[in-house]
Amino acid sequence: MGLERLCACVAVFALAALLLPSRAAHAEGEVAKLQAELAATRSDLADTRSALARTQALVEDLARKVDDFGTRGQTADAERVPPADETARLPPVNVDNPSISFVVDGKARSNTQGDDGVGFLLGSAELFLSAPIDPYLRGYASINGTTEESFDVEEAALVTTALPLNLTVKGGRFFADVGRFPHWHDEALPFVERPQSLDRIIGGESGAEGVEVSWLAPIDQYFELTTGVYNSVGELPDDLASLVGQPSYSELTYLVHPNTYIDITDTLSVEIGGTYFAVPTETRRRLAGFDVTLRHQPGTSAFYQGTVVGSEWYWNDQEFLDAGGGSSRFHRNGGYAYFESFFGRRFSGGILFDHAEEIAGATARQNAYSGFVSWMPSEFQRVRVQVDEIDQTGANDQRFWLQWTAFIGSHSHGFSTR
Amino acid sequence: MAFRLASAALSIAVMALLSTAASASLRVVATTPDVADMARQIGGDRVLVTTIAEGSQDPHKVPVKPSFVTKLNRADALVVQGLGLEHAFLPALLEAARNPRIAPGAPAYIDSSLYVEALEVPTSTNRSQGELHPLGNPHFNMDPVQGKRMARAIAEGLERIDPDGAAAYRDGLARFTAVLDERIPGWLALAAPLRGVKAVSYHQDLSYFANRFGLVLDGTIETKPGVPATPKHLEDLVAQMKRDEVRLVIREVAYEMPLAETVAKKTGARVATVATLTGGLPGADTYVAFVEANLRAVLAAASPAGSE
Repeated sequence: MGLERLCACVAVFALAALLLPSRAAHAEGEVAKLQAELAATRSDLADTRSALARTQALVEDLARKVDDFGTRGQTADAERVPPADETARLPPVNVDNPSISFVVDGKARSNTQGDDGVGFLLGSAELFLSAPIDPYLRGYASINGTTEESFDVEEAALVTTALPLNLTVKGGRFFADVGRFPHWHDEALPFVERPQSLDRIIGGESGAEGVEVSWLAPIDQYFELTTGVYNSVGELPDDLASLVGQPSYSELTYLVHPNTYIDITDTLSVEIGGTYFAVPTETRRRLAGFDVTLRHQPGTSAFYQGTVVGSEWYWNDQEFLDAGGGSSRFHRNGGYAYFESFFGRRFSGGILFDHAEEIAGATARQNAYSGFVSWMPSEFQRVRVQVDEIDQTGANDQRFWLQWTAFIGSHSHGFSTR
Repeated sequence: MAFRLASAALSIAVMALLSTAASASLRVVATTPDVADMARQIGGDRVLVTTIAEGSQDPHKVPVKPSFVTKLNRADALVVQGLGLEHAFLPALLEAARNPRIAPGAPAYIDSSLYVEALEVPTSTNRSQGELHPLGNPHFNMDPVQGKRMARAIAEGLERIDPDGAAAYRDGLARFTAVLDERIPGWLALAAPLRGVKAVSYHQDLSYFANRFGLVLDGTIETKPGVPATPKHLEDLVAQMKRDEVRLVIREVAYEMPLAETVAKKTGARVATVATLTGGLPGADTYVAFVEANLRAVLAAASPAGSE
């Protein structure tokens, strides 16, 4: 039995020894196969995880965009994604329509002398339109009506915007570049009324039809030179007949106006200009003048906010037709000086002195002394009171003014009314 | 003699030409001290920056000086803060400057608001709502995170007009951004006590600052944006501050102090003075110093023992 068992065991071991190599080889194959399958599964799992991560990121990104869309403008944490070709964020402009604004300037007046008496005036109802026309040109128009005059086109002009050599050309009907206030619109003045000296010598605003060329010197110092040619400058009283404005080159009005500006300190500056215009034929009209503006602009938050001191003076030499067909020449002068200080964010006040002479006929000298206070409830409306003491031939006059001005829309006559 | 004079004149002309070539920096005009500082830090020696507004000024009331016209006339680039902040002075200056290169929309018109997501974009604009900015609140410079976006737009703008300096501008941007990245976490930690603190400002210009540092704005001293306070509005504001337990009045340096003090006195609040532009507070002449100075001023007034 023992021997038989021993023999059987030996036989089994021998058989096992014969069979083992092939089974081991088979097992190794199985392991390798399983390992390959495991690696493939792991790879698939990694791919799946990666795809899932991408999907999750995409979902999160979409969710964020949806949130951003829903709360656009309400959170500063989201970064704006500008369109690829955008270089600046500009306000939307309706390219088919110009900028439109309207000024309502109402006045109440009381005189102690003269025929004016007490009453209300529409000082100005001005519709102002402006827009770029193309890359090289802009246009603007000002249509104004008052109590004394019906609606009229005060200005309708084209202005170049892209000429070389710092040149700008303006053409049409506009306020010629005379001094400072002559080319300002009434509602932009610091006083209720345009100084009488400018009304008499210039003829109100320096309204003209013609063409102007201005040049800005390409240097650090501000220097601008304007030259112009016009039919005439300003308006004459109805009872005067002028010899200017005849259809001949030599009877047009030619103007030159240099202007410079100096920063005296960081807060104090002065602007100086000179004006000369003339009609060449027999020098039928020649006008010379200067303007000086001193500004103190401390830029502080204190109650005192700054002061402007300004003056203009003009000498006019002009020939007028007589009733009898002849002509007479008159040399007259006039001008004003004023200062205005600004207080808080909405008050200003100042005084004005004005010396005026009639442009023709009797001189009728008039000296006016005015005090004015302005209150601006907001940037878009202004209430002003002014008292005038008028020293003139005959009885002196005292005038009291209340002016209420409001601006509908974005109303600005630009750099020229700085 | 004539020959010597001619030689001297020629020498001077050549030297002038050479000096011009040697100092061929971009002439950059910046509308505010904030974008000026960023342009300097990003552009380094490649830019020569001049600024229009001063830090203590109300940006809505910057004077239109002719001396700015000559700077703009000769500028190679104009950097604006944007979103209409400069609407009160820039259009008139650009009209007179005769420089189409820096006209709005031109390549050298660099708008720092390009990447800023604007707050308070009005859904309708009419003047009864005050002086609203149609593109949204333009005082984003008070938030340093927006400052990074401003810098990016400025760097890209400079690169656009001076491609040769692209590497320098990118390096400058990276340096500027790194400084802000380093400082912002510290500022946020510093501002932790401000979270949930209610405040009233003078003008509606603290929205981005409040959004970043956790302040809760509860009204303005102005009746509406750009519209001065009326007695009735102040009466209502004081009642509202008492009801809402507002203990902080933030007065921007460009606005008058007495009114802010009056409101504070009536409500038991303290007044903090901040600047809306770099350089508005003493010693805060860089953008980073400006953000820090504002934050510390508000913290000082908001803390229990704080005082102006």
